[in-house]
Amino acid sequence: MSILRPFKATDLFKFNNINLDLWTETYGLGFYLSYLSRWPDLCCVQEAPSGRMMGYVIGKAEGKSTDWHGHVTAITVAPEYRRLGLARKMMDLLESVSDQVYKGYFVDLYVRCANSIAIGMYEGLGYSVYQRVREYYGSLGQGKGGRDEEDAFDMRKPMSRDSSHRSIRANGRETIVGANDVA
Amino acid sequence: MSSAALERQIRPIYDALDTGSNKSAIVACNKVLKKHPNNDLVKALKSLALVRSQKVEESLVLCDEVFAKKPTDDSVLAAMAHVLRALGRFNDIISMWEEAFRQQPGNEEYGAQTFMANVRGSNWKAAQQIATRLYKTFQEDRYLYWSVISAVLQANDPSTPAAMRTILYKLAHRLIESCPTPSVLNTDRFHLHLSICYELKLFDEAQKLLNNEVGKAICANNLSCDDLRRKIIKAQGLVEEEGKRSKELITEKGDRNWLEFLAVLDAAFAPITLPQGGAPSDSQKESATVSIQSAKEVFARVAKLDGRSDRSGLLAILELERRSREHKLSDDPSKLVTLLKQYFETFGDKACCFEDLKPYTDIQGEERQQWIEFLQNVPISFETTEDLQRVINVHKHLRHRLSPSEINVDSEQKRLKAYVSHYEQGLPLGYSLPQTELQPADDLALLAGNAYINLWSLTNDQSHLQAAASFLEYALLKSKHSFLTRLILVRIYRLLGAPSLALEHYRAMQIKQVQHDTLSHLLLSRSSTFSTAPAGDLTYISECLEATQIYLSNSQETSEFISRVFHAEKYSQIPEFIHFEERLENSLQRDSIKIEYLRMRLSHEAILSDLIDMELIELKFVFDRLHYDNRDFDILPEYQPAVSKSLNEQTFLFGKPDGLGWLSIFLKTYIRAFQHASDLDETVEDKLLIGDRPKQTGNFDKALSLHQRLLQRDEAELCELTSEETKLIAFATALADWLEPYHDYARPPPAVVLAEAAKQNELKTGHPLKGIQLPPTNGANGQQKKEEPPAVTEPPATLLKYFEEAKTRFESLKQSGSVVELLQVATLVQEAFLLFNVETLRFKTPSVIKINKFGGLVPSFKSIRTEAVAVLKTISADLLTLSESQTSTDVRNSAVDNCKSVPTTLIDHDFGFVLGKKIVDARKKALEGAGKGLAKTAQQYGTA
Repeated sequence: MSILRPFKATDLFKFNNINLDLWTETYGLGFYLSYLSRWPDLCCVQEAPSGRMMGYVIGKAEGKSTDWHGHVTAITVAPEYRRLGLARKMMDLLESVSDQVYKGYFVDLYVRCANSIAIGMYEGLGYSVYQRVREYYGSLGQGKGGRDEEDAFDMRKPMSRDSSHRSIRANGRETIVGANDVA
Repeated sequence: MSSAALERQIRPIYDALDTGSNKSAIVACNKVLKKHPNNDLVKALKSLALVRSQKVEESLVLCDEVFAKKPTDDSVLAAMAHVLRALGRFNDIISMWEEAFRQQPGNEEYGAQTFMANVRGSNWKAAQQIATRLYKTFQEDRYLYWSVISAVLQANDPSTPAAMRTILYKLAHRLIESCPTPSVLNTDRFHLHLSICYELKLFDEAQKLLNNEVGKAICANNLSCDDLRRKIIKAQGLVEEEGKRSKELITEKGDRNWLEFLAVLDAAFAPITLPQGGAPSDSQKESATVSIQSAKEVFARVAKLDGRSDRSGLLAILELERRSREHKLSDDPSKLVTLLKQYFETFGDKACCFEDLKPYTDIQGEERQQWIEFLQNVPISFETTEDLQRVINVHKHLRHRLSPSEINVDSEQKRLKAYVSHYEQGLPLGYSLPQTELQPADDLALLAGNAYINLWSLTNDQSHLQAAASFLEYALLKSKHSFLTRLILVRIYRLLGAPSLALEHYRAMQIKQVQHDTLSHLLLSRSSTFSTAPAGDLTYISECLEATQIYLSNSQETSEFISRVFHAEKYSQIPEFIHFEERLENSLQRDSIKIEYLRMRLSHEAILSDLIDMELIELKFVFDRLHYDNRDFDILPEYQPAVSKSLNEQTFLFGKPDGLGWLSIFLKTYIRAFQHASDLDETVEDKLLIGDRPKQTGNFDKALSLHQRLLQRDEAELCELTSEETKLIAFATALADWLEPYHDYARPPPAVVLAEAAKQNELKTGHPLKGIQLPPTNGANGQQKKEEPPAVTEPPATLLKYFEEAKTRFESLKQSGSVVELLQVATLVQEAFLLFNVETLRFKTPSVIKINKFGGLVPSFKSIRTEAVAVLKTISADLLTLSESQTSTDVRNSAVDNCKSVPTTLIDHDFGFVLGKKIVDARKKALEGAGKGLAKTAQQYGTA
């Protein structure tokens, strides 16, 4: 049970319980404000009845012609609220807005190749690997997972506008592109 | 020269500016200006390069020159906008664009710039008028909506009188109605339209908007509009209809947004929650019983359907029971406990179970007993992480509802043992996790941390804090990224007087960006206690500077995004962005850091009138502000019993929060001292001030003069001071009261100060100071005093006594051994002495004494100075001795013993030894730094 509501600029004052986390980046003000000033309907928060923030998603719409799509830029849930299906609900919202409002062909997101738990979750939600992006997470350097640690999977899920499923492919894991190719 | 050739010469100036090479930009400008001495663009660019190289006076001359010519060229305007912004002259930016737009009324861009300049200054009325003009001229719907939102923002501005609000909303409504295209075509226009209907209670119109197909579709996909829809429904009293709608969403669409459940709950109780108050009739009660029953059935179905996959159903039943009890409609007195148990049985292995149930466990008597017995009988097992989480939840719930009689040293020790031992048993469950993961047993360490801090609160025995540090450090070793563990450690090390260890953990958290506003209080609150700036260590000074970067980004970036959001027509975001900017700009933490920074700066830099003048002006602006407290205290892992003080309160340095009251007292104290020392009175300041005076947003009695406000003391404010701080403030007040008449008499008249400033300016820039007309001096050079000088009086006895008594307090604290208390006394005595130097700075000049016949003051200053220096030296020597004694075997062994005292085999001798030594070393360093600092200060100001 959580409240799904829009992300507000003033939430930046209270998202510490989510952002004090190794995998969650705290960006400059411009990052959040630019998303909120362009795609406020693709940014939302899950909140506990006590008013404590539980998680949030930040997304955008981008691309040209048949590449026009919704993109999940950041999705995160505070440690104490994990494994409650919150990410799924936020993804549902983002997909529905990408589909109904923006009429995108698909929704996509990037995930570390080593993060098998997240990959499994996204697969469960209907996403599949479209391509592997080399050295997408360059900053951390190679960790224990070797290349998996810094390469990303670009995962996609077709929306209703892509009725023939042209935005996905079967052998995505074998399709490798450089980080510069995906901008 | 052709314009193309000129352009070729100007390009490098832009390049230099873009890359931040202001020096070469100036050189390039000079080169062009030689051939084209009247080129406004180059002048504007040079002015920009100058202001960016801190050459404000020179920049002003060029800026004023170009400004006076009322430019209309777009590149000149753009450059000038940057210059004026850097100079803080926002009103001039507005008039510059206004003038350009007036001269070129067909220039849409200039009109839009004029609008934005007004938006940046929150001049909503002017913005609204310009937007209307833009709409009339260019016929773009967007401008009409700009004028609508400006009217709304003016209505919402706190300075707008209540009576005006409705008028403005009506204006906004009229404007929106006049738009040829309906608002539903754009989600954010629709949102704006709805919000106006909501404010004006135009519910029929709102329903018309909401009930057409497009409106419905918008609300279904836009959370902001849906929020507004809910508000309107509520205001209209359509609770039962909304409940029906939500019920459908829950049962048919599988919606699990808690807001829908709340709507069903509100509807269920609607028959008895009467808007006009009063007791409900029997028939109303009856219909409520029916609707409650039906809601209960819906929730029960949801709970059964969802099982463990969603908590909404079960929690809604709990909430329903809580509300039934509130209305005395509950049919079963044991129901609540049964539901609590059921919830725990279903979700007890989820981390959120504690937070979820907290609001429902405030029960008494037999019920409480049942709940506690239930928890106590939950099997303790460490087979799986789920088992472990259940154990953690049991501990958290039991601890939260302890009664006062259950909180004492013995019982707390017992609980502590259980937390530690369960931590030990739970630890293996996380062995296989990668180092980047949190450990499932972490919360037990945090519970132990809470228990230790409570033990320290009960006994005032610091050994508990050392033991806590030891156990938490161990837990951190096992769970490297547990930020919550670090948070407690930062607080503990500050309490222990081991600031370098606190700093280590704080830095490891990698606080960034906006987090500096919400979390830097952890490190910087009262940090002057730990600063050893006089001894040359700038650690805390640079931490202060780093933390304040975010306010700079805010003033540079946020207003830019406010313009963007207007252009993108995201009206729902505009009030949010503005509110965000305001909260960050006027942040309490920002100005608390400012005060701490100032206190350290005074102890480090020479006290000169330049420093005092600059700080005085800034502090006065800060004093007139309305402050917002954005500090995040909820982040601390709070597991203290509901009846005890919170962990946050317990671990404030010196047990006192430093909020608005603290800030206000220190502002008043420093403003008053600096006013005395400064020659800038109000009239001089007005003339010399570059840039606009910020708005006075503070909530104070505007009828009072600044002087009256500085003398005000409010009980609630004083409550935020420690007793040592109270004494410092009393000292500063007595000192200021004593010397005020002499300062007021000796301060040179404004004309003289301005003449001197003009002279300095001319020396610097070769130009006279603008806008200042100096009265003829009649050839006489000296100031003529009309009145007799105030008679010299003896200093109040409290001044000398302050230093004597501080020494005595320091002496007695040596026995108790609290390092942090010792540091406080020492740094505050030093601060008192520095304030004394500020207050007597003016009288250092022998001619001031002579002209004003203040010869009698000199011996008084001398005796206070001698006493203060002697005390500073004694305390300094003591601090150095104490610092040395930290390395003695006794002190170290005791620290090591305390670190080893955690009831677990996890912490062996080596671990305890290393940490004990670290703590002792950190304290040694802190005491030594303070001792050296005091000696330096005593030496520097030892003789007048």
